[in-house]
Amino acid sequence: MIRGGSSYISSPPAFSNDAKRLLVCTANTVSIFSTSTALQVASLEGHTAAVTSVIVVPGTKVLCYCWTASLDGTIRYWDFSVPELLKTLDVKMPIFSMVIPSIVGQPAESNEKLTDVFAYLSIEDKKVQENRPKAMHGQIRKCNLTASRMVGGLILKETPQPEFITVSSSGKFFGIRNKRKLHVWSVPAIDSGRSLAKKITLHHSKTLSVLAFHPTERIVAAGDVTGRILVWRGFGYRTFSTGDELVNKEEEHPGVRGNDDADSCSTWHWHSAEVKVLSFSSDGAYLYSGGKEGVLVVWQLDTGKKKFLPRIGSPLLCFTDSPDPTLSSISCADNLIHMLEMPSMDILKTISGIKLPHSFPGRYEGLSSGFAFDYTSGLVALRTESYGIQFYSLFDDHGMYEVQVCERNHQPGDEISVVVILVALSQDGSMMSTVEVKLPEEGIGGLVCLKFWALGSENKKFTLSTVIYEPHRDAGISAVAFHPTRHMAVSSSYGGDFKVWVCNDEIHQKGQTLQNSGWACLAVGAYKKKPMTAAAFSLDGSVLAVAAETVITLWDPDKNVLLAVIGETFSPIVTLSFAGKSEYLVSVSRDPKPQLSVWNMSKLSLSWSYRLHIEAVACAVDLLSFAVLALLPESSMCTESNESMSQGRDGAILLFNVMDPVPVASWSVRKAKGGGLSFLQGNPSFLEENISDGNAPKELLVYVNGDHEYVLFDPYSNEANEVSMARRKGLVELEETGQVGYASIYGELPEFKRNQTSLVPSVPSERPWETIFSGSSHNLPPLTKLCAAFLESLMEKRTAAVE
Amino acid sequence: MAEPNSTFKPIKPKLKPKPRTPKQTPESKYWSSFKTHQIPDLISSITSLTFSPSPPHPFAATHSTSLKIFNPQTLSPSSTISSFSDVVSSASFRSDGLLIAASDLSGLIQVFDVKTRTPLRKLRSHTRPVRFLKYPLHDKLHLVSGGDDAVVKYWDVASETPLLELLGHKDYVRCGDFSPVSHEMCVTGSYDHTVKLWDVRVTGSKTVMEVNHGKPVESVVFLPSGGLVATAGGNSVRIWDFIGGGKMVYSMESHTKTVTSVCVGRVGKENVEEGREHRVLSVGLDGYMKVFDYGRMKVTHSMRFPAPLMSIGFSPDCGVRVIGSSNGVMYVGKRKMKEENVESSLRSFWSLGVEQERRVMRPSYFRYFHRGQGEKPKEGDYLVMGPKKVKLAEHDKLLKKFRHKEALVSVLGNKNPENVVAVMEELVARRKLLKCVENLDNEELGSLLMFLQKYSTVPRFSGLLMGLTKKVLEMRVEDIRASEALKGQIRNLKRSVEEEIRIQHSLQELQGIISPLLRIAGRG
Repeated sequence: MIRGGSSYISSPPAFSNDAKRLLVCTANTVSIFSTSTALQVASLEGHTAAVTSVIVVPGTKVLCYCWTASLDGTIRYWDFSVPELLKTLDVKMPIFSMVIPSIVGQPAESNEKLTDVFAYLSIEDKKVQENRPKAMHGQIRKCNLTASRMVGGLILKETPQPEFITVSSSGKFFGIRNKRKLHVWSVPAIDSGRSLAKKITLHHSKTLSVLAFHPTERIVAAGDVTGRILVWRGFGYRTFSTGDELVNKEEEHPGVRGNDDADSCSTWHWHSAEVKVLSFSSDGAYLYSGGKEGVLVVWQLDTGKKKFLPRIGSPLLCFTDSPDPTLSSISCADNLIHMLEMPSMDILKTISGIKLPHSFPGRYEGLSSGFAFDYTSGLVALRTESYGIQFYSLFDDHGMYEVQVCERNHQPGDEISVVVILVALSQDGSMMSTVEVKLPEEGIGGLVCLKFWALGSENKKFTLSTVIYEPHRDAGISAVAFHPTRHMAVSSSYGGDFKVWVCNDEIHQKGQTLQNSGWACLAVGAYKKKPMTAAAFSLDGSVLAVAAETVITLWDPDKNVLLAVIGETFSPIVTLSFAGKSEYLVSVSRDPKPQLSVWNMSKLSLSWSYRLHIEAVACAVDLLSFAVLALLPESSMCTESNESMSQGRDGAILLFNVMDPVPVASWSVRKAKGGGLSFLQGNPSFLEENISDGNAPKELLVYVNGDHEYVLFDPYSNEANEVSMARRKGLVELEETGQVGYASIYGELPEFKRNQTSLVPSVPSERPWETIFSGSSHNLPPLTKLCAAFLESLMEKRTAAVE
Repeated sequence: MAEPNSTFKPIKPKLKPKPRTPKQTPESKYWSSFKTHQIPDLISSITSLTFSPSPPHPFAATHSTSLKIFNPQTLSPSSTISSFSDVVSSASFRSDGLLIAASDLSGLIQVFDVKTRTPLRKLRSHTRPVRFLKYPLHDKLHLVSGGDDAVVKYWDVASETPLLELLGHKDYVRCGDFSPVSHEMCVTGSYDHTVKLWDVRVTGSKTVMEVNHGKPVESVVFLPSGGLVATAGGNSVRIWDFIGGGKMVYSMESHTKTVTSVCVGRVGKENVEEGREHRVLSVGLDGYMKVFDYGRMKVTHSMRFPAPLMSIGFSPDCGVRVIGSSNGVMYVGKRKMKEENVESSLRSFWSLGVEQERRVMRPSYFRYFHRGQGEKPKEGDYLVMGPKKVKLAEHDKLLKKFRHKEALVSVLGNKNPENVVAVMEELVARRKLLKCVENLDNEELGSLLMFLQKYSTVPRFSGLLMGLTKKVLEMRVEDIRASEALKGQIRNLKRSVEEEIRIQHSLQELQGIISPLLRIAGRG
């Protein structure tokens, strides 16, 4: 079983001390990426719910310790170089945010001196009764990490929702935003369990969204929902120094509201929408801000002058500084983390996660073909918000590349007016077709555009082959399907016709090398002027099935002759699929009367059907089985809801044999709405590692849920839920292994193989004590770790000898 | 990995459909690369054109009672020979290009020195007009001529005597050619429809071979292999295989009037593989020049001229193609020669070297520190390309700054309907088009209306523009009523729309007539 596709942007990431690694919260794990290659090098697994905070303990470059907090109510302490879990604290309440001011400010030796380390947590108190009109769910609490306990009864602040805590890089202050107020606490110099942090509150007239502290001075900046940035200078001199001395001197504090404790407050306004990102540079000279527009703005703090990094492509969510002043990262809403080279703001590398689902306007909402799967290479093609298609490798769990379908500038803040509504891949993955729709403005300027793409032979990327404007006049396209073997495709439209397209690969003789390959319409068909709602080719390509609302019409794709009509269902069919090589056809219809039907093509009649709301259908290529993703009806949800197991599970994957209406297997899943399902060819290299399991799976089933997290499993193995398949890919090296020295000039030397017969099998694993201490000293793990491993290896040897 | 979209993408107009067949083959590109110059004001029709076999291949044109020799570089007449008593019918250079022989309709053949223009020999024997004469390829001593007396004569030029009188033609002999592989074989074509192959070694004036073209033969030419002969007569050009016993290989019938002349052309080596580069060029009274690829039996290029064409010549170095018309205009196609470029670049290279020698850079010059910056890459060098700068048009710059109305106005100003529609589509995508229309002042509205009047009925744009026109009229009705100029625009707009409606009606009528026929045909 392979899981993947998690969001990289749920929480801010953190850089390691040498700025060579980036720790990213990915669902229940923390993934560690190399900043030079943007590939994953390790992961910290252990949390049972989403990880919300990751804090790297600062110090010298070799120190690789971090704290993580999660919604499962635990705080864990890791050595992420190994990686290994060192310590676990259970606070029993979901933690939304955690800061540890005392370790941020001072270098690491405070860690060694065994002074208590205190963390401030933002937690959700579930015990708060719902019946109170203004339930305060969020609490800010303090926790003694050294003693592994909460500081009893100390609740710094209660908020309606758990808030994100921001800490200053000096570790002296931390704060939260709370509606139109800003709460700032000063951390006591010598922190102990009893000492109470002092609090001031700063007010604003709009709801605040984000705040940031100046690294050295007493400056706090906050962004609000209207796009303004407020900078309070000299906050808290009165409160934090002398105590509760309330003097109202409005005229001395320009811009400061009421009797807030600040010297001055200035406002900057450039953003047109909510400010999401706010961060001071490490030297405190600049302020970075960003928001929905996808533009990173750099403010010179003294003058207010601006510099921009425009067209990042999606709303910014988070800006993280690294210990290396030339490197920082920004997280974007489309699941990308860009590494920025700092003063020039060039994007060095991009960690690209799976594209997150985005909303489609109006009638394009519920279209089933949100995903297209490449059967052979295990890729999924997803539509992106910026009019593109992302290819994501399911086996490797990283983004391969993106294809820009529509050459337009994407402005994240704008109303959506151009949508890629369909994407289809041919079975061998060499052809792609996309449909994009330009929505009209008050009835004018709408456009449907069908595009065919061909996979380049050398760079393995799709290039545009043919553009067809308004393929079915102004009617929308309901489905595109490729012929399984030939260069043929069909598009069906709501306007009542379908068109068969063929690709004419005219490669002329050698004299005229002009290659004129393009897709052209071969045939047009219609059935009683009914809207055509779905289309599919049979596996051998001899039959084309097109759904005309409630009936299914079968055509000969070559001669364009209507062969038969079968039907009908109660409501329009939305998906058609041939079940493998069999003579069965699976159809799905949705509202108002959802139905899953299996039709027998030889008898031209209904074989069996269910009344189920089906989200997706996947048919195995070789076998007679197919899988459906069914949404559980509301009623059954209620009956099962008392079981703790089915919490949040709103769908089920059912595996059927076409002959038999009783499912062969079933799995219940979460977030099935908007999910996808497909069979994939078991990757040969993937199989190699599982050869020990005996019969290697021929086909794998992939399920992508509504949040685009996915799981790959073998549907035919009996203990499919338990079977654990090792990751295909070994985690890649941390550093980019560029060729150096001789190899960079002359290339790699060919390997001269010695006489193979005299090869003595070397057994390095049996004598680890010889290799543990080899290598240059700066590469070695800490001595304490080495000693443990060394002793352990010796012990292993002893037992082996006894046997 | 995802590329950040850090550059602004300019708007692009919609693509136009591509023709299924490519518009230009490499070969037609080659033939169009001959840049046509006109040499007018030659009196009467140009009866023959011939190229000198020696470089730089000057060519001679005969017209009226004179013979003009042209320089192929400047295309200006280098010398004129006019010592003829009658219309000059044919001319031929000797194989070394030093002498030229010309015949006239009085039956006299004269041999001139090309440089001095002095007549060296006068060959008198033909009693009727001489129509053709030809020097053999390597033989400097003999030539062959033929004329209206139906006799073909083989001359010894030095002694001014006909060595052989080849009898056999029953009508005027109009044309002939020597074999490119042997200086003893020649073909002649006559108005008796036959083409005869003669061997001067055979005595007794017997033809070696004879083929029947079927029409009076106007022109005949040996193809470079020496085995094939192309003949022109009537509307057809025929290729004969003489080695294979004189059978017809192909008959090209794409001229619509009489073909007057054929010659052998060559496609430059860079386009076609070895041995396939020769073409038959033919001209006819229909004003067409056709290029016929006799390897693939296909007409590969065709070119139209505004007058009936009488003669054609093609220079041996593929640099010049001359066509003579019946009204005294010569169409000279000249190609830029690669060799020239090489030579000139070589020269410039040498001159550069000389210059460098003269001025040795010393660190005392300021320019010393900038030396080598303007260095051009050599052929084998690996080029590291800098990022390409996207050139933005005025409307793109305005769109980038979100100044939507200005962008619309600016693109309306520069008369490219595709760009205007592309900007409008972009504005629709940004949901700003109607707001722009609302904010246009009267003058700008006028230009918009003018655009709409011009293009709203064009099928490619009408989908968007019809809807927009309606909206514009709805929104700006008050302003239009107030202004006389705008009212005039609206009247024009109305007229063009009405015309379009009329066209659509008549087209629908046509469809109504045709569709039952199609239905019946489909049933049958």
